[in-house]
Amino acid sequence: MDAAPLAVELKGIWKRFPGVVANAGTELTVKRGSIHAVLGENGAGKSTLMNVLAGVYRPEEGEVRLFGERVVFANPADALAAGVGMVHQEFRLVPTFTVAENVVLGAADRVLNMGAVERRVAELAGQFSLDVDPQRHIWQLSMGERQRVEILKALWRDAEILILDEPTAVLTPNEADELGLVIRRMANDGRSVIFISHKLHEVKQYCDEATVLRGGKTVAASMPVADLTPQQLAELMVGEATEAALRPEPRQAGEQLLSVQNLCALNNRSLEALSNISLSVHAGEIVGIAGVAGNGQRELSDVIAGLRESTSGTVTLFGEDITTATPRQRFRAGLSYIPEDRVGVGLAPQLSVTDNAILRSYREHTRGPLIAVDRAKAFCADVVDSFKVRTGSLDQRIAGLSGGNLQRLLVGRELTAEPSVIVASQPTRGLDVQGVKAIQELLIDARNEGLGVLMISEDLDELLAISDRIIVMHEGQIAAEYEGADADRSAIGLAMAGESP
Amino acid sequence: MIRPVLVRREVPVRGGQPLAFAVGLLVALLLGAVLLLVAGDSPMEVYRRMLSASFGDLEAFSVTLNRAIPLALAGLAVAIAATMGLWNIGAEGQILFGATTAAGIAQIGEGWSGPVLILAMIVGGSIGGALWALGPAAAKAYIGVNEIITTLMLNEIAVRLIRYLINGPWKDPEGYGFVQAPALPEQSFLPNLFQRTHIGLLIAIAVLAVIGLMVSRSSWGYELRVAGSSGATAAYAGISLKRKILTVLVLSGAVAGLAGGIELTGNATRLTETVSNGYGFAGIIVAALALMRPSGVAAVAVLFGAVQVGGQSIKAIGVSDAVSTVLQALILFGVIAAGVLIVYRIEMAEPKVRST
Repeated sequence: MDAAPLAVELKGIWKRFPGVVANAGTELTVKRGSIHAVLGENGAGKSTLMNVLAGVYRPEEGEVRLFGERVVFANPADALAAGVGMVHQEFRLVPTFTVAENVVLGAADRVLNMGAVERRVAELAGQFSLDVDPQRHIWQLSMGERQRVEILKALWRDAEILILDEPTAVLTPNEADELGLVIRRMANDGRSVIFISHKLHEVKQYCDEATVLRGGKTVAASMPVADLTPQQLAELMVGEATEAALRPEPRQAGEQLLSVQNLCALNNRSLEALSNISLSVHAGEIVGIAGVAGNGQRELSDVIAGLRESTSGTVTLFGEDITTATPRQRFRAGLSYIPEDRVGVGLAPQLSVTDNAILRSYREHTRGPLIAVDRAKAFCADVVDSFKVRTGSLDQRIAGLSGGNLQRLLVGRELTAEPSVIVASQPTRGLDVQGVKAIQELLIDARNEGLGVLMISEDLDELLAISDRIIVMHEGQIAAEYEGADADRSAIGLAMAGESP
Repeated sequence: MIRPVLVRREVPVRGGQPLAFAVGLLVALLLGAVLLLVAGDSPMEVYRRMLSASFGDLEAFSVTLNRAIPLALAGLAVAIAATMGLWNIGAEGQILFGATTAAGIAQIGEGWSGPVLILAMIVGGSIGGALWALGPAAAKAYIGVNEIITTLMLNEIAVRLIRYLINGPWKDPEGYGFVQAPALPEQSFLPNLFQRTHIGLLIAIAVLAVIGLMVSRSSWGYELRVAGSSGATAAYAGISLKRKILTVLVLSGAVAGLAGGIELTGNATRLTETVSNGYGFAGIIVAALALMRPSGVAAVAVLFGAVQVGGQSIKAIGVSDAVSTVLQALILFGVIAAGVLIVYRIEMAEPKVRST
């Protein structure tokens, strides 16, 4: 099969969403019988490109070819019929059905002979060493087993091309290695596997070729993984510095305000998300936390804010132990928090601008048991004016506000309390250029006034631009720490990808 | 092929909800008229009778108000839980257990004076309703059990409990073989305010006003609305979700139980398993039509009271009182459908290429 055409050719794919270009002429070619890594930072356009290949999105320009023939998919079912199966990060399984039932769901004969189906599912699983019992129910299975069911679903439908979207994010290291063996078997069987990942060691370990995307463009196409060093891959992923930094004047950091010692915590799936994190934030500095999404940053900020319990370790503010303090006590003690999920955590979407402005202070705007509406409105008007929140009426629901104005309202509310430490998780994500600048300036002003800022971001450029120190997190640990002035992009990129520089 | 699609309006229609209500009511009456015509009845005659039986004169209106009392309390019970995003489908059971508790108090306090006994029965009814809601509330707050299921199932248990009591421990010794609870003492009957409206009206108005104010203006109600908007936001603001779930569901049960106590002292002569008369379920519709706002519950309850009273009156001309049930449902559909058009408009569109 030497002359076999390429399994996948994506040529000049363009896909835009309101305000963002996800794919700007992206190219990708995948050989038959190979495992192909698609690498890139968050927002590089990987997921969109894969959704184009899987028939979820239609590209505005460009063409999709499978085995040399041009194809146009109207929906994922078309793509599946043409042999493209995708395992999404969020599994699409019916928890109360058995493995076999899920596998044949939507692809079964009219008359179901479950015994025969179970035998055939078991056979298929055995062929690829997918260890899973066809008779068990999905809710009984671990995440790794559920993923195998998703892969079985694709194999059952004769997928020649299997897309795995960050498949190891939900797996333990052992499960990840097993997955590596499974996809190798599939490749040996002549199928093609597209493996999306941020983790360089996995790419080195499991994949044959790699394509790197950045800003919706292909910056390196189909490079043999064996010839590449992690250093080279990391540099391709993070790229060069794009613009002049608005770096604040360096200054002497003051007293230690927030300190975290040997902190451990679990994530929502009860796996260890933080292991022995120690860091401190001083007055008048911005400490940036860099890292690829899902390496414990969210858990870290939640534990500091009191929204997640730690399993061990301490959090101290002004030298006082606040490890077991409630979120309200922490806020009172001077800790403000800008959560990553603005509208689901930091704001109440169905309530008015006023109601959201007083979320932290409503107990202070009362007259007897009732909220003093006049005082609450005056407080809200103050926040809206000081932080230039553009809103029609203070009584309107915040659902109608733009992302930038929502964030101004949230940041404004948190700063109005005159905190001494701000924990800001992805505070500029999804904002337009002006919004990003405005929020960054607010944080820099706060730092210049002597506050301690802990800023978590997936945008390395942003962190390099405004941080006094940068801490890199990888798999729940601190992988590296740099002074802002001498932080080196490629070294950080490497640390983010789990390689020691 | 051109087909109609719903397109979101940039600005919702002004004065939306009252308008939707009027349009929905009109549509319901028109559809009801079609049904009546098909059944061979005269819609004009039926509607005229229903109107005069419910709003015709002060006496008619006093009967309507009597009906509106339990409907409003049940609607309020559902609405306060819904403010926090919880569904109390168990108002029916809470009314029944509230009435059962009140009946038990009547047995103990047979010799008490009227005001003392009535007060004890009404407060007892409220406590009974709260107790009936306590189980689902605790299960939801501490282990996350879906409150819809638990409150719903407890309705049936309340019915069986009354059946057991009437057949067993509380069987009327003077019932001449009839299976029934003993008659309530005379002094337990709620005095009338005017015509046939008893003073439960004042209690209902006071409870609606106080709780309505608490939900919309107090910091307690504010916390409730934050939690209803997003549980994670409530946790962020330091609001204890567990305590909120517990208090709001128990309060909801207490309000429904209050309706049970008032019904027993106001409209019944003895405890029966039909003392709740479906008010607990109708309360869900009342609350939904009032957009889960305590302020709207009273008006909707009076309308539903009128439809129910009107429904009974047309039995005299040989029309089934099921008409009333059908009308209540049609009003619900009509108003909800009209509500959609407040926010959306209909456009004729070419079929779109499937893109997602």
